[in-house]
Amino acid sequence: MEQYDCLLEVKQEMAGSTIDHLISVMVFMGALLVFISLFNQTLQTAILYQRHRYLATKCSDLLDNILLNPGIPADWGKSNVTPVGFGLQDPEFTQYRLSPFSLMRLQSSVGEPVYYSRTGLTYSNITMGFGNFLLVPYTEAIDYSVVAKLLGINGTYGFQLAITPIVTVSIEEMQWKNPLILSIKVAGVGFPLANARISYCLLTVSEGGGGPYPSYTVEYGANFTNAQGSVLLKFSNIKNEVSYVFIVYAYLGGLMGMGYYEHVTYSGSYIIPFIDNFAEGRILIAHSYDVHNIGDTAQVTYNATFVVLTKSFTLQSIPVARGNLTYGLGFPYAYVTIPENVRKNPGILVITYRKSTQETGVVLMPWGISSLAFPAVFGGDPTGQEWVVADVRQVIVNGIAYQARLALWSLEGYGVVAKK
Amino acid sequence: MAHITIEYIIMLPVLILQILLFPLAASWLMNVWVDSRRTLALQEVASHIGSSIQQVYFALNHATVTAKIVTQKVDVPPFIENYPYTGNATLKSVLDPELNSSKVLEITFRLVGVGTTVKTMVILGGNVVWRESTFVSNSTNACITAEKFANGTIRLSFGG
Repeated sequence: MEQYDCLLEVKQEMAGSTIDHLISVMVFMGALLVFISLFNQTLQTAILYQRHRYLATKCSDLLDNILLNPGIPADWGKSNVTPVGFGLQDPEFTQYRLSPFSLMRLQSSVGEPVYYSRTGLTYSNITMGFGNFLLVPYTEAIDYSVVAKLLGINGTYGFQLAITPIVTVSIEEMQWKNPLILSIKVAGVGFPLANARISYCLLTVSEGGGGPYPSYTVEYGANFTNAQGSVLLKFSNIKNEVSYVFIVYAYLGGLMGMGYYEHVTYSGSYIIPFIDNFAEGRILIAHSYDVHNIGDTAQVTYNATFVVLTKSFTLQSIPVARGNLTYGLGFPYAYVTIPENVRKNPGILVITYRKSTQETGVVLMPWGISSLAFPAVFGGDPTGQEWVVADVRQVIVNGIAYQARLALWSLEGYGVVAKK
Repeated sequence: MAHITIEYIIMLPVLILQILLFPLAASWLMNVWVDSRRTLALQEVASHIGSSIQQVYFALNHATVTAKIVTQKVDVPPFIENYPYTGNATLKSVLDPELNSSKVLEITFRLVGVGTTVKTMVILGGNVVWRESTFVSNSTNACITAEKFANGTIRLSFGG
C-alpha cells in the first residue's frame, strides 16, 4: 500500500512540474507575440508619419511641376495634339500663370459626360447652369491616365487637380423690365471688393427685326462697386421682357474676376455648342432635342457672336455666323468657326437663338476656361483613400484669379516594408 | 528521473531560446524600420531633386530664354542619418508611343556606406542632353547645372 502511495506522489509531482513548464513556455510565447506586435505597431506609426511627410513634399513638387511648365509642345492647349510633357503654364508668360486653353482640354472628372449620337462621340462636360456649356470630345480631351504617365506617377500616386476662381461676381436680377435692374456683388475669399472697377456688356436679343435670324443689341459700360462691394445697374431701354446676357469683369489691383447672368424667354428648344476642333477654332452647334431627346422639336434660328475682353478691359463683340437648326437624322448640326485673328485669345461664344418673335434665348460657351471663370476638376476621386495630402497655389488664368489645389494620395499601400 | 530529463533537457533550451528570441525580434524589427526610414528619406530627396531638374529644364526651355547657363542649389540635406549620398543619371529615349519624342532622365541615388538605393524618373523634352556627372550631397558645390545653347539644346548636369 505504501509503495502505491509513493508512486502516486511521484506521478503527481511529475505532472505538476510539466504543467508548470508548459504554462511558462506558453506565457513566454505569448509575451513574445505581444512584444512583437506592440513594437511593430509603434514602428508602423513612425514609418507612416514619414510616408505622409514624403507625400506632402511630393504633392508640393508635383503641383509646381504642373503649374510652372507649359508642357511639350508648349502650345498643346491651342492644338489638337496629345502633349508628350504635361504642364499648364501659359507659354507666353512665366510664374504661376496658366493657359486657359490647356485647362479647357482637361477631361472633367465631375460633370456627367454627354453622348451625342449624331457624331457618335462622348463629350467631357462642364455645365454651369442652363445655357453655359463647355463640351469637349473625349478624342480631343486629355485624360487622367495619360497625364499620370506624363507626370511619371502612373500606378504609384493618384491625384486630383481643382482650379477654382477666387473672386466671386454674383449678379441678381432685381427688376426684369422697365427698367431692367441688376445688382452686382463682387467678393474675394470671405470679404467684399470695395471700389472695384467693373466693365460690363449687356447683349439683348431684339424682338423681331433682323429677318429670320435673332438680331441683338450690345451695350457696354463701366462702373465701380461701393464699400460693400456691390453696385446697382439700371437699363432703362429694356421696356419689355427680353432675353439677354449680362457679362461683367471686376478688377481691383491685380485681382480680377468675372460673372455673367442670362435671362431667356424660351428654353423649350435651344442651341448646344460642342468643341469640334481646337486648332481651327471650330465649334459644332446642335439642336437641344437631338442631344437630350426631350423638350421642343421646333426649329430654331441662331446668331453667333464672339465676345473678347480687350487689353484696355473693355468688351468687344465680333459677329461670327448665323443660320437655323432642326433636329433629325443624318447631320443635323452646323459649324461655327471663331475668326483666325481672335481665336488665339480667350473669349466667349454668345449664341442667341429664336423660335418665334417672343420666344428667344441665349447660350454661352467659353473659349478658354477663364472667359466665363469656369472651374475645372481633373483627375481621380480622393474619396475613400487612406491618406490624402493637398497643396494650393494662387494662380492667374488670363488675368482671372484662381486657386489651384492638388490632392495627392499613394497607390502603393502603407506597410512598414514598402512594396517592391 | 525521466520527467526531470524532459524538463531540463528539452524545456529549458526552449525557454532559453525564447529569451534569445526577444532581442532577435527586436533587432529584426529595428533593422526593418531603419531601412524603411532611410529609404524614404532618400526617396524624398531623390523626388525633390528630380522635380527641381524638371523645373530648371522647363524654365530654360521657355521661348524667351536664349543661350544661358543656370546653376540651381537644391534644398536637400547633405546627410541622411550621418551618411552622405550620391546621385547618377542616365538619359533614355522613351519607347512608350504616348510619350513619343520626349526623354526620360533616370536618376539613381545611393546612400554611401549603407548601400540603400532609390530611383526617380523625370520626363523632359527631346532637346535635352545629359552630361555625365555625379551629385555628391556633402560637397559644397552640390547643385544642378543647366546650359541652353543657341540651337535650343539644353544640357543638364550635376555640380559637385
